[in-house]
Amino acid sequence: MRRRGQISTMAIVFLIVGIIIGAVIGYFLKPTPVGVVSEEEYNRLLAENEQLKKKVEELTKQLEEAGPGAPTEITITVWAIGPDPPSEYRYKNFEIAAERLNKMLETMGINLKVKVTGEFFVRPVEWEEYRKKFYLAFKAGEAPDIYLTGHEDIAYLAENNYIIPLDDYIEEYWDTVYYDIIPTLWDACRYKEKTWAVPQDAEVRPLYFRKDVLRKLGWSEEEIAEFPEKIERGEVTLDDILEIAKEAVDKGYVERGLIHRVKEGYDYLQFYLAYGGRLWDPATGKMVFTKSAWRKTLDWFYRAVHEYKVILPTQFSGDWDKDFHEPATKGKALFISGGSWHKGEWIKKGLLSEDEFWKVMGYALHPAGEPGRKPVTLSHPLVYTITAQASERGKADIAFMLITLVTDPHLNAIHAIESAHLAILYSEISDSRYTQDKFLQDVAYMLDYTTFIPSHPQWSEYSRAVFNVLRAVETGDMNVDQAYDTLLSQLQSALGDELLVED
Amino acid sequence: MAKFKLKSSIYLFLVPSLAIITVFFIIPAILTFLIGLTDMDWTFKWHWIGLKNFEAMIKEKWMTKIFNNTLFYVFTTLSFFNVGMALIVSLLTHHIHEKIGTAIRAIWLLPRITPSTVYALLWLWASRPEETSLFNWIFTSLGYEPKAWLLEQPWLIVILVNGFVGTSFGMIIFTAALKSIPVDYLRAAIVDGASTWQLIRHVELPLIRWPIMFVTAYQTLSLLTSYEYILLVTDGGPGFYTTEVLALYSYHQAFKAYGGVTRFGYGAALATILVIIGLAMSVLYWKMFKMKELMLEPRIEVD
Repeated sequence: MRRRGQISTMAIVFLIVGIIIGAVIGYFLKPTPVGVVSEEEYNRLLAENEQLKKKVEELTKQLEEAGPGAPTEITITVWAIGPDPPSEYRYKNFEIAAERLNKMLETMGINLKVKVTGEFFVRPVEWEEYRKKFYLAFKAGEAPDIYLTGHEDIAYLAENNYIIPLDDYIEEYWDTVYYDIIPTLWDACRYKEKTWAVPQDAEVRPLYFRKDVLRKLGWSEEEIAEFPEKIERGEVTLDDILEIAKEAVDKGYVERGLIHRVKEGYDYLQFYLAYGGRLWDPATGKMVFTKSAWRKTLDWFYRAVHEYKVILPTQFSGDWDKDFHEPATKGKALFISGGSWHKGEWIKKGLLSEDEFWKVMGYALHPAGEPGRKPVTLSHPLVYTITAQASERGKADIAFMLITLVTDPHLNAIHAIESAHLAILYSEISDSRYTQDKFLQDVAYMLDYTTFIPSHPQWSEYSRAVFNVLRAVETGDMNVDQAYDTLLSQLQSALGDELLVED
Repeated sequence: MAKFKLKSSIYLFLVPSLAIITVFFIIPAILTFLIGLTDMDWTFKWHWIGLKNFEAMIKEKWMTKIFNNTLFYVFTTLSFFNVGMALIVSLLTHHIHEKIGTAIRAIWLLPRITPSTVYALLWLWASRPEETSLFNWIFTSLGYEPKAWLLEQPWLIVILVNGFVGTSFGMIIFTAALKSIPVDYLRAAIVDGASTWQLIRHVELPLIRWPIMFVTAYQTLSLLTSYEYILLVTDGGPGFYTTEVLALYSYHQAFKAYGGVTRFGYGAALATILVIIGLAMSVLYWKMFKMKELMLEPRIEVD
């Protein structure tokens, strides 16, 4: 008990001594207040001063390390997709452009260097995953500065502030290069009276045909050579295609009369266009369902698979290599509803040599659905956009400068030739490399017959609904009436007022 | 006082599992329901639209088909493979030489341990319509015409693909249960002159009743929400939602769109329905299998 009392007394003594020592030290260490600045303010300024000193030291050190005259580096991130590997110049051209720009800057003695990073996506990354990656990257604040995409995405991207309008930039650089862009391509870049993108390339989707099979069917060389022109004049209809394909299948010359893509996409919409269907109403900006055209399209596919037996019911559950590229290039199919880029892909993949291609492959527009209608093709121009995050990072100016540099007749011609896409500039059409490419020259006229995919934020819904019923018709799950009713009701319920239904 | 202490310590022991259930089930389920009340897409905006997604679901003509597909898929795969085949394999391998039995069970585990994309690709190759594909090669050498398997028999392929993976789970549980049956019971039955069939029917099966019920309940719920292999093999096709099940439809709506714009809100609404069905099935199984009895304290005290 006594011991406890001693401890308490000692503790109190120590406490008092401690307080006294503390007070003395505090008195001597206390800084003299300067003028009217409070002590708190003084300490804050002191700390800030220290921090600034450190930063200056750091920067001086960095400068010393970099050596005299080292340039400031600006990195621009670019994302582009094939998904076909030959389209790599969609990305590579930026590296070339940056190199050119850096040389110019160096010559002018400007201490600036532009570096391009990013990625070029190829299969197995398809459009779907590519878009998904972009939306997620954007959400994470890691979106690229320049984003290549299909023109039909512009509506959604613009509506949701993913990208910035480029009108001012385009105006500024109009005389440099943009005056030269084929005007219809600008239509694909506009949404709600603003221009949101710069065209990257365009393509057409021909109906390829195997000349060797037609020869076996007894066609003369003249008849084969005339075939595309006859289609262009509207003298050959989709029904004639069924007849020719059936003959080739019946005689055992081919296993498949006609092949088309194996997954969801846009190619098959051409058959609807060939029957006079409209996808989009430019006046109202709404999507369109042309009743008669959809019924005839579904009927054509039904007959092609179940009556004429020229399209296999398994086509839509197939594999790109085994059910598309192989039958096309090995002569197991007569008609191939493909895209101009497939020529590039077949040759790059070694499935056909350039010589073989010319020997066995012909190409034409997709024929008119009925007599009196026009033949068609479909284009899906790809475009470069600048993201809102590039703008936030203060990189939009440089990004646009790079886009201006890649929109160059020579650079774009390299891309066009390597991947079998079409020119976007008038001067590119007369580029010496481009003029030497017979295929690109040959298919250029098809642009006169082309239609674009609608630029509407809900286009995905339309596309998905069409794919679902077409697959159902081909596999025999639905007859024409069922498919037609399902398509119409699905589109009406999903799109509501955004769908115009016309006869 | 002692009773209170016991009770509080019981709750204390329950805390970890309660926390896990809250974080990984209750919160996600509530979030899913809430997202189901929006038209959220890649912009991740919470734009409330009330019960519109659920209304749209009811209006969709093909929902009945998808619902029936789900029931068909779950119960066929479950009865033929996840429980049926699992039981057959474990009983057969239990009654043969142990080493051979173990080897056979190990083979049955192969589909489970093969990466799902590789496994699905093997099935896709094997079932291709050409005469040279594995199935057609077997089929034609038996004198039959080659078939486009995925087109003509999509369900058969889907159920086989899932079944071969699903069998192993039940097989392991049943084998463990069979091995834990005291050998005296079996000897006694054999001494009484029971045949192998009688041994299985009257001794083994009744003794592994609880594991069978557990596997049935567990695998029903797991099949209900599984879609991975269907996605890889048929992607819901080949025709109009031919093999589309509810879980896959929810995935398709939420994450799949060639045009890029998906419907998280609608997908979440579909997933909410799945959660409700799952809960209802759990309650049903609990009552039907009288699982409460499994949890009861033993009537005799064993020290």
